[in-house]
Amino acid sequence: MDTEPAVPRAMSSRERMAVAMACGRADRVPVMCQLSLGHVFLHSGGDPVEIWHDGEVLADALCTMQRRYGFDGILVNLPGRDPDWRARVARFESADSGWRVHWRGGRVTDQPRDDNPHVTAADGKPLTVPLERVDPESLFYVEPHDLEGLRTIPPDGFPPWQCDTLRAVRARAGEHVSVHAEVFSPFTQLLELVGYQDALLALIVDPGRALACLARLAEGAVHLGRRYADAGCDALLVSSAFVGAGFISRAHYERFELPFVRRVVTGVKELHPALPIYVHTCGAIGDRLDLLEATGVDGIDTFDPPPLGTIELADALAALGGRVFVKGNLDPVHTLLRGDVAAVRTAVRERLELAGRRGGYVLSSACSVPPRTPPANLLVLREEVERFDA
Amino acid sequence: MLAQLAEAIRSHRPESIAACRALAERALAAGVPAARIVDAALIPAMADVGRRFRADEIFVPEVLVSAKAMQGALDVLEPALADAGREPFATIVLGTVQGDVHDIGKNLVAMMLRGAGLRVVDLGVNVAPQRFVAAIDAHRPELVGLSALLTTTMDAMRATLDAIVAAGQRDRVRVLVGGAPVTAAWAMSIGADGHADDAAEAATVALRLLGR
Repeated sequence: MDTEPAVPRAMSSRERMAVAMACGRADRVPVMCQLSLGHVFLHSGGDPVEIWHDGEVLADALCTMQRRYGFDGILVNLPGRDPDWRARVARFESADSGWRVHWRGGRVTDQPRDDNPHVTAADGKPLTVPLERVDPESLFYVEPHDLEGLRTIPPDGFPPWQCDTLRAVRARAGEHVSVHAEVFSPFTQLLELVGYQDALLALIVDPGRALACLARLAEGAVHLGRRYADAGCDALLVSSAFVGAGFISRAHYERFELPFVRRVVTGVKELHPALPIYVHTCGAIGDRLDLLEATGVDGIDTFDPPPLGTIELADALAALGGRVFVKGNLDPVHTLLRGDVAAVRTAVRERLELAGRRGGYVLSSACSVPPRTPPANLLVLREEVERFDA
Repeated sequence: MLAQLAEAIRSHRPESIAACRALAERALAAGVPAARIVDAALIPAMADVGRRFRADEIFVPEVLVSAKAMQGALDVLEPALADAGREPFATIVLGTVQGDVHDIGKNLVAMMLRGAGLRVVDLGVNVAPQRFVAAIDAHRPELVGLSALLTTTMDAMRATLDAIVAAGQRDRVRVLVGGAPVTAAWAMSIGADGHADDAAEAATVALRLLGR
């Protein structure tokens, strides 16, 4: 008796991402960009102040953007918010460039219409702390984007709502979309805590203190990564933007970044061995792909092409040999922001030709999608991955 | 002594920060004119630091140590430079554009330009276009420098240039842009007059824009 051959079922977005993050080949190349919050502010239809400060509103906005662009995954790139956050506000104020939030504790948030807000002390000064005043033993995790700005969080200090935005996104997006959480690398936490200039100076003038801080901050990132994994994230992004060759040497990367990201990866995987973990590093990383891989991550994100970075995708794929998944490589500025639909289409096809048939590739902007990127340019990504595999 | 000072700047060793102040003081005490110390030691040393940075031989932390060492020497020399009548020959209004709070590149550029003899009006970070416009009116600079680190904020450079044009100031200033994601093509596309890949090049380009 003849039987019809079974028609392969299309994978869900979540399945597709899981296969790609395991370096396999899915039914098509998954697509998932990290959107700047400014892009979400401008294009989701939500109010920027609400999106930034209210986890439920952010969840709505992120899911709106995922559906609009047909992305296979969502990165939840802010922590959960106090549901009673409005009770902490003394007053709101409109400004030419956006809004200003005056907190009862004295801090002030300046919220632009198209970019991340900036929080200052009541006197207008930044919230960073001089390195010489930091006791490394007191550190655990530094959250740059807490409700009222930069906050050092002690071991028992994560609030009960820390994972609520992640859960809200899962509830809205359903079981078929890949939902990723984000922790900051120890190095990024140090940059945010003491300021970029002082942190980078410390690598030379006070390396012992820097290393002591990084060791503690790694434990905080482990703890937070485990919590997000417990809350059901499908992958964990370790955000470490500023450790490429535009900033530090390979030697400094080996000493001040590699061991601490490795600790985050091994620490989370002790309890969640199957959770994919990937690192997001911007700019010139072509000289240190081996070091990024040596952190033990499952994947590497951005792969900025020239002129923003130093990655030629074919060379990077050959160097990594399919041992880690690759996400990114679309130039966010010259292609996505400034290019037209035809230019984006050409750039996408080039990436798919290079990486699309070998598995372990997630089509994505390199760094975050800039705020004023035309939505029409982003729609091309999903169109082209479907056309490519068809 | 000048060779020692230059070498201390180039070395980017932690102790060079204090050593440069001491060497500048010793050179002044020995009767070396401040302008000669700047021209023969500080400027060539930082130019060499910039060259090695562009060649990926050294990176931002090393440049920061060298710049801090140079700034320490310059702090010692500035009163003597003023006494000798060496006034800044031009002014630059400098800032990190709106939405961006990163200041390493801008600070390095400020130090390099001070070393090259310019007066620097540093507006800080997250500077709104209208603050640049107001500063141009207030300080009458020959140059304006715009810095951005992020791909998400470099568009604010265009907004700043648009504001300068709208204020009728564009023909009074030359505009120099820079920062990690900023390219010559980008600079041209937004109508800037010059672009630099790093702080040392920024000083070179600034001097070229000033016709020196």
